[in-house]
Amino acid sequence: MRIALLTEGGYPYVRGESALWCDRLLRGLDGHEFAVFALSRSARQEETGWCELPPGVTLVRTAPLWGPGPGTQGARGLAGGAYGRREKRRFREHFAALAEAVCANHADADPRTGPLERTGSPGTPGPDAGDRSDRPRRSDRTDRPAGGLSAPAVGGAQGAHGPLGAHGEGRAPADGQADRFAAGLYGLAELAAERGGLATALRSESAVRILESACRAPGALPAAHAAQVPDLLAVTERLERALRPLSLDWYGQRGEEPGLSAADLCHAVGAGPAALPGLLAKRAFGVPLLITEYGVRLREHYLTSAVGAVARGVAGAPVRALLASFQRRLAREAYEQAELITPGNSHARRWQVRCGADSARLRTVYPGMDAAPFDAVGEQVTDLPPADGARPAGAPTLVWVGTSSPAKDLGTLLHAFARVREAVPTARLRIVETAGPGGPDGTYLAHCRALAERLFPPGARKAERPVTFEEVGTPAVPTPADAYALGGVVVLSSVVEGFPVSLVEAMFCGRATVSTDVGAALEVVGGTGLLVPPRDPRALAEACADLLRDPARAARLGAAARARALELFTVRQNVESFRGIYLELISRHRVGREDTVCEDPAGEDAGRPFARPAEAHLPGRWASGTGNGSTGSTTSSAASSVVCGVTAHAVSGAEGLRTGSRSGGRPGGTKVAGGSLAHVPSWASAERAAPEETAARRLPAERPVGQRAATDERPVAEWAAVGAEPGEATAP
Amino acid sequence: MTTRPAAGDPVRVLLRSHRALCERAVDPLEIAAGLEASGVTDRTAARCRHRDVFSLAEEMYARAPHPEAHAGPFTETYAGPVPHAPAGPPAGPPAGSPAGPRAPGDTRRSTGAMGAEWSSYRGAPLVLPLLPALLCAGTLAWLVLFGGSHAAVWATLCAVGAAVVLGSVIVAVRLVPRVPPAVGTAGFPTGLFLCACWLTGYALYGDRLLEGQLGGGPESLGGPGFPSPGIPSPGVAFGLSLAVAPAVWCARGFALAARRRLAGSRSLEEFASGVRPLLALAVCAVAVSLPALQWAAHALVGGPLGLFGADGAPAGGADPLAGWQSAAAGAAACGMLLFAALLLTAHGFRHAAFAGLASACALEALALLSVPAARLPGLAVLGRPVELLVAHHSATALPVAACGCAALVLLAYAATVLAGASAHHREAVPA
Repeated sequence: MRIALLTEGGYPYVRGESALWCDRLLRGLDGHEFAVFALSRSARQEETGWCELPPGVTLVRTAPLWGPGPGTQGARGLAGGAYGRREKRRFREHFAALAEAVCANHADADPRTGPLERTGSPGTPGPDAGDRSDRPRRSDRTDRPAGGLSAPAVGGAQGAHGPLGAHGEGRAPADGQADRFAAGLYGLAELAAERGGLATALRSESAVRILESACRAPGALPAAHAAQVPDLLAVTERLERALRPLSLDWYGQRGEEPGLSAADLCHAVGAGPAALPGLLAKRAFGVPLLITEYGVRLREHYLTSAVGAVARGVAGAPVRALLASFQRRLAREAYEQAELITPGNSHARRWQVRCGADSARLRTVYPGMDAAPFDAVGEQVTDLPPADGARPAGAPTLVWVGTSSPAKDLGTLLHAFARVREAVPTARLRIVETAGPGGPDGTYLAHCRALAERLFPPGARKAERPVTFEEVGTPAVPTPADAYALGGVVVLSSVVEGFPVSLVEAMFCGRATVSTDVGAALEVVGGTGLLVPPRDPRALAEACADLLRDPARAARLGAAARARALELFTVRQNVESFRGIYLELISRHRVGREDTVCEDPAGEDAGRPFARPAEAHLPGRWASGTGNGSTGSTTSSAASSVVCGVTAHAVSGAEGLRTGSRSGGRPGGTKVAGGSLAHVPSWASAERAAPEETAARRLPAERPVGQRAATDERPVAEWAAVGAEPGEATAP
Repeated sequence: MTTRPAAGDPVRVLLRSHRALCERAVDPLEIAAGLEASGVTDRTAARCRHRDVFSLAEEMYARAPHPEAHAGPFTETYAGPVPHAPAGPPAGPPAGSPAGPRAPGDTRRSTGAMGAEWSSYRGAPLVLPLLPALLCAGTLAWLVLFGGSHAAVWATLCAVGAAVVLGSVIVAVRLVPRVPPAVGTAGFPTGLFLCACWLTGYALYGDRLLEGQLGGGPESLGGPGFPSPGIPSPGVAFGLSLAVAPAVWCARGFALAARRRLAGSRSLEEFASGVRPLLALAVCAVAVSLPALQWAAHALVGGPLGLFGADGAPAGGADPLAGWQSAAAGAAACGMLLFAALLLTAHGFRHAAFAGLASACALEALALLSVPAARLPGLAVLGRPVELLVAHHSATALPVAACGCAALVLLAYAATVLAGASAHHREAVPA
């Protein structure tokens, strides 16, 4: 398969976001052919250079989202750019639609997320409700007035007879603006593809004028009403940067290298500007779009924007409001167009649902971490028989490992440890700092040391201090694994946490954990550790004392924790999940996409897996479509194992295909769900699993509806919580 | 601390502790992101009787005052929220950035060390535009001293003087703030420069060339009349070099004043109506100063210096101030055109400026070529317009017509274009 990886401020650059994860993914999925399309965020980032590219990467294209735009150099001519009168009119029309949608108040859009959330929340919808809530959304999507690329004519008819269910009326106003946004966006993209020169037009006076009238329009954001001329200029400038992907030559439209049009799948890292090329590729060529977010891009935008508001004069409130609105519209459109969205944890998932993602297409894929450095420590512990007696290591020891910062709330930990000492007088606490030289300054750590001195005044025998501060890299603690090996119980007292890396590492080491219930700690730990409320020394102390007093229980919990971590949080699990998702997505799409490019980009693509087997197709199509070893072999094996009813379905034509696919439902999260719930290695062999499952899914009538729905809903309940980067520190 | 009683209104407590965040926020989601970053979880939200952080953030957004969003029409946008900002999140990279792209993009990159060094002085904008006039006067003085001896010395002095004056003009012109550096930094505008050189050259030599052609024919170019006279009209050259100063001052003043006005205007119409008078003022100032400086230059060159009286080179011969009006008219038209081009180039409309200059150049060149072309059999019609023009007025009418028309067109275009806000926009927001 040819997979286009779309990143923004990400992968090929050494200091990019998610670079580590992308690198592992590309190296792990060596059967596929990758093309990396990267947008860079700053000159500083570009100077850092690229990672070493794995052999599977055949093409890397980059474009800057900063600095002077392409083709803006002195391009303001007597005629205001390269556009003629007709192009100018088109530009005005589309940009007005975009600006109006961006300036419009979001208040009317919020009721929409209500019903979506409710359907996504665990347990509430019955088996049929899931299907029904699915249908109007689909029809809404297809009957959107297509102002842009290759408008599908079938949309209107389908929308007319589409069952507008319970959510249809409540969603109407919100969808109106979303439609205007999409129409403007794709209209501008079409204009840029045909004539270029979009950057010049976006910086022109007419763009500013259009934006001004949109800001002064009646239903606009209150902050937009207050926009002054410098604000308008700043917004157009930022919009020009954000919309730069529209005028890139990545799409293979201008007779150059094929680019995104030749990809079988677009995998966007983040739903912001990175998804923009994917949206266009989907619109123009029907390439399915997969979005992966470990940190929600929109949330990052809000956080950086809030920081920007503090720096004086950088951006006024109107600028921030309009840009946030643009990002929100863009994220909503990306979520809506994506075939599948994979949040890294349930925190990201909640944000995505909030921003308009359909929870039926969300599938949590936990970040993977390298377990190898911790194997030695972990296996040693699991080998150790949880016998009756105390641990031979001596004093019961608590370990805290991490990068010290106020969010880690070491004060609570120290206070709690004072209570632990009352219950277990021999207990010790070892605080291990992992930051190294590039970490934060030591002011917070010094503060903690002072607190420790005060709580535990040094006695006569200095060697037996109850609390010690160490650093990873010193001879005493050479590696993080050694840090976890110092004690029997690992404790985490954070107030704010994203995806708690140190908890996962402790689990790899087979250590029982006591942690505060913040961020994704709940879903990481599961039942293999104790959770206490944050900022509560007493609860923390009780939990720690319980485990310290009962080393056998701690050892059992530790072994369970290691098993759980090895099951859920390894690199292999992550990579294999994506391998399965890729195969699944491609199986739902027609292989001979070329002939359906302009007919129906949104409607039929969600058909069932391998809906067009080899028997229903001309052989030549297959050869031209797949062209790659892995896909070809998988599809052919699937076709051979498929029951003959499928062929009947496929032959029966497009109508049969559509209705059949709807009643069959989207495959939801069945595959991953089964694995993570039962704790069996779910992705041991994706190649074998995929055909079997798809064959099972092929016969929707024979499976009891309730059972299928149950498997669909349970993962939602299971994955109810948060996430951060695999490589980065744990604060969100 | 979880046991703290949420007395009465727990949301108010949260509002108080996150006041800056709530006042600054443009969106409930921004509050939600900020709350999560400071440790508020769904459990905290549940204590406030909310399902999750999002709905809690919505209530806080609805209850918090938003001074900026509901600001009156004439409040300062930026000043409001800043003092309340917490010290927590570090400002980071954006702090130093706004000033960053300005300095290098503006002056330093083009003229190298000299420009950077000079423009760092406060008085540079006042002094530097006078440099071309000074150098031109110096060149003329050298010509007076050594010009009579040998033709080669003449030529060398002329070439060196012209190069030095042109260089100083470039340095002076760089003082005009070029408004969108990202748009305008496509390198040195060679086409514009060549056009400007041609127009200046025509203002100096063109009239005589045309008269010579109309009178004698092309052989007079290389004939005895040509190498000797050196500078045909020193007054024109001196006057043009003097005019650099008011042009640069006016363009610079216009750009700075417009930018100041930009920061305070609420709507595009308001801005446009404020800028148009500024533009008119600048154009009028240049238009008045050009003939005045021409007159002054001719008076200075012809009177006290008594330049070239002995050589007999100037067309007027005995009376130095005799033909100054006609020469000055052409020079003034040329100066006006160049000023319009300077304004447009500085504000990013380089193509328009080039089109104007190039059309004027083409008109002049066509007129010059039409005279010899008319001598070919059957093509006599081609020369008629120029002959008529020169016969009815004088040879100066040609540059006046060409440059004047082009200048009018460019100024009209500038009046529409430079009233727009995007022409005065710098990259205000860092990446």
